[in-house]
Amino acid sequence: MIPFLDRPLVQFGLALATVLILPLAMRSGTLASEILIFGLAVAACNLLLGYTGLLSFGQGIFFGLGSYVAGLGLMRAGLPAPVMLLLSLALGALVAAAVGWVSIRRQGVYFVMLTLAFSQMFYFLAYTFSGVTGGDNGLLDIPRPRLGGTVLSDAWTYYAYVAVLFLVLFATLQRVALSTFGRTLLAIRDNEGRAGAIGYPVRAFKVAAFAISGAVTALAGALHAMLIGVAPLSNIDYHTSETLLIMTIIGGSANLFASLLGAGAYLLAADALSAIWPRWLLLLGLLLIVITLFLQRGLWGLIERAVALVTRTPPPAESLPLPLVGRGQGWGWRRQPPPVEGHPATPTANSSPQGGGGQPGARPAPEANR
Amino acid sequence: MRDRRAFLKTSLTAATLAASGVPISGFLRSARAAEGPLVVGAPLPISGAFAANGKYASLGAAFAAKEAGSVLGRTVTIADIDTEGKPAPAARKMQEAMAQGTRLFAGGILSSEALVMGKEAAKSDAVFITTAGADEITGSDCNRGTFRWTVPTFGAIAQTVRPLIAQMPQAKRWYTITPQYVFGEGLLSAAKAVFQEKGIEHVGNSYHSLAEKEFSGYLTNAIAAKPDVLLLLNFGSQSSDALRQAVSFGLKKRMTIVLAWASGLEQFEALGADLCEGVYFGAQYWHGIDSPLNKALVAKVRETAKMTPNYSFAGSYQITKLLLDAATKAGSADGPAVIKALEGLRYAGLTGEEEIRAADHQVIKDYYLLKGKAKSAMKDKDDFAEVIQSGKSFLSPEAAGCKMA
Repeated sequence: MIPFLDRPLVQFGLALATVLILPLAMRSGTLASEILIFGLAVAACNLLLGYTGLLSFGQGIFFGLGSYVAGLGLMRAGLPAPVMLLLSLALGALVAAAVGWVSIRRQGVYFVMLTLAFSQMFYFLAYTFSGVTGGDNGLLDIPRPRLGGTVLSDAWTYYAYVAVLFLVLFATLQRVALSTFGRTLLAIRDNEGRAGAIGYPVRAFKVAAFAISGAVTALAGALHAMLIGVAPLSNIDYHTSETLLIMTIIGGSANLFASLLGAGAYLLAADALSAIWPRWLLLLGLLLIVITLFLQRGLWGLIERAVALVTRTPPPAESLPLPLVGRGQGWGWRRQPPPVEGHPATPTANSSPQGGGGQPGARPAPEANR
Repeated sequence: MRDRRAFLKTSLTAATLAASGVPISGFLRSARAAEGPLVVGAPLPISGAFAANGKYASLGAAFAAKEAGSVLGRTVTIADIDTEGKPAPAARKMQEAMAQGTRLFAGGILSSEALVMGKEAAKSDAVFITTAGADEITGSDCNRGTFRWTVPTFGAIAQTVRPLIAQMPQAKRWYTITPQYVFGEGLLSAAKAVFQEKGIEHVGNSYHSLAEKEFSGYLTNAIAAKPDVLLLLNFGSQSSDALRQAVSFGLKKRMTIVLAWASGLEQFEALGADLCEGVYFGAQYWHGIDSPLNKALVAKVRETAKMTPNYSFAGSYQITKLLLDAATKAGSADGPAVIKALEGLRYAGLTGEEEIRAADHQVIKDYYLLKGKAKSAMKDKDDFAEVIQSGKSFLSPEAAGCKMA
């Protein structure tokens, strides 16, 4: 919408700036770490929702799985943290691929129901096999990682550890989103039939998107378990999936930095509001209604508007989707200028995202602009 | 340079005071006053599904703080910490509070959050005292920093099932409805052990999930098994829903209903006297307990807050008071000193004479068997039940599985 803001280096710069500013602006290293961890999980969720048009209620499965891998790997198997993190990536990808492989066989409401069903199934698996997962009590006493023989018990030291991983994975996800693979996901999101008709193996792409998203979410789950020292049952609950989706929508699904914004806004608001008013979730409901009705590009849309105001560029339209224009592979995406008034912006057939659509700012097929 | 001067000045003053006979303790007390208020963290589910319990518990902690006024020359302040009823925010917020210097914590209503917070407290030489129910808190997951006021599942069953078996020798067939998680399993295994010992026929059990709200299927199974007693082993709104549905199915006329772990006055208020009449309830606390501290508390709360203390309020009051009393006894608000003062402490508690067992940090206190009164027999709006029996039943620390690190 604002071409400058959407440049990948700017996006990464914003993520880097956030990572550097958080220690200066916040008192709690634990909360700051949690923001980055959820930022990662939300970015992974955004890869499915924003880039592939898949509204999945299964993200909590992978987050919980990562937490359990951390608990079992570090405490029972005695694995070093880096090995455990790699294992969580691999297992997250594997399970997500399996869940995705089954779920994408149906579209729309049925796809959502399948992911919801998987979510419940994994929750009850974790609940039933309490000998492995600790059941309702969770896995306790998960240690923090060691670096050079020192345990990262200090909140800000652990934050630094999380920050490095966050930046690496953020850049990786950006790379994925901007690659030919990522562009194809956008094509699938905008017009699945057309993407299939021109020869893309749509299912394989969707399963791959699930696997990447699941891997990153599982790693975030593992980092979270090491942060709080426990792998609770609630991490694999469908409420976690719901929270990740809400964070994605609050931030906006336009780009990956918006995901960090969504995670940060949600966690900071929850932290501040819960101390003031027990029914703060009501406010969250109101915020969601406002965003859905008036701010479909989420908080990121607000930033775009503010920048547009300062730079005196035309304000971004909330409900008018704009097409993406590929400038080749890699880091060079930009957006097309708004369409001429009265001219149909996009063929309506383009918007058929799975999960009942609802992807704010759904854009027409990029392949139309190739 | 300034620091060295200040140090020399303080040392000189202390030496002068000591030499002139002014008690050093008085001097230290005033030094502590300069440390600011004594903050007691109250990590409670202030928002979320258990917000109602959290609200009363928060009031109870504040009442204890107000009553104490100041401890060690420092004004007592309660810092509410909203756990949202989930272990993850609970652990994070405990870490944050400890980073800000808080070392005394009283709270944790839900078992899963209490277990996590106990671990966090132990890591940082803090003290955490809770009213949560999971046996592991003072069993297999016991630790130096965690104390628990409530009676675990073994005692709850011993003080409800045993007296009822003695009271109703003809009731030989018992049916159980159990939530399938650690707490429910704990109650069920304790009940089965009593059944076996007393020659009771356990004619069936229905497991339900944590999310269950509809119990008619389980109740139909119970009716089919023709038991003399229906023992409900679930908790909170689930036990209320199960009881409500059991009464509407007419089970109260066909069999005796026992709710082993009731959540106290708030549950009676929600259910109403008609529903509770003739039903037996196990309880950690009841406002009608005949003990000096409880009588004083009930009178004071009724006078000042125009309410009768319920279990959430009273439990939180008691554990906050325990921490403050221990800090006074220790002459320090540091974690290790308070832990030492709490271990083995005998005191006049809300349930009468109570003692904190040093080996597993479990408070040894009474558990109560109540019987719902008829509406016409109630002396006031809160007089829902009469205390049938009370007593102390606890596994040894070894049998509970506690290996204190």
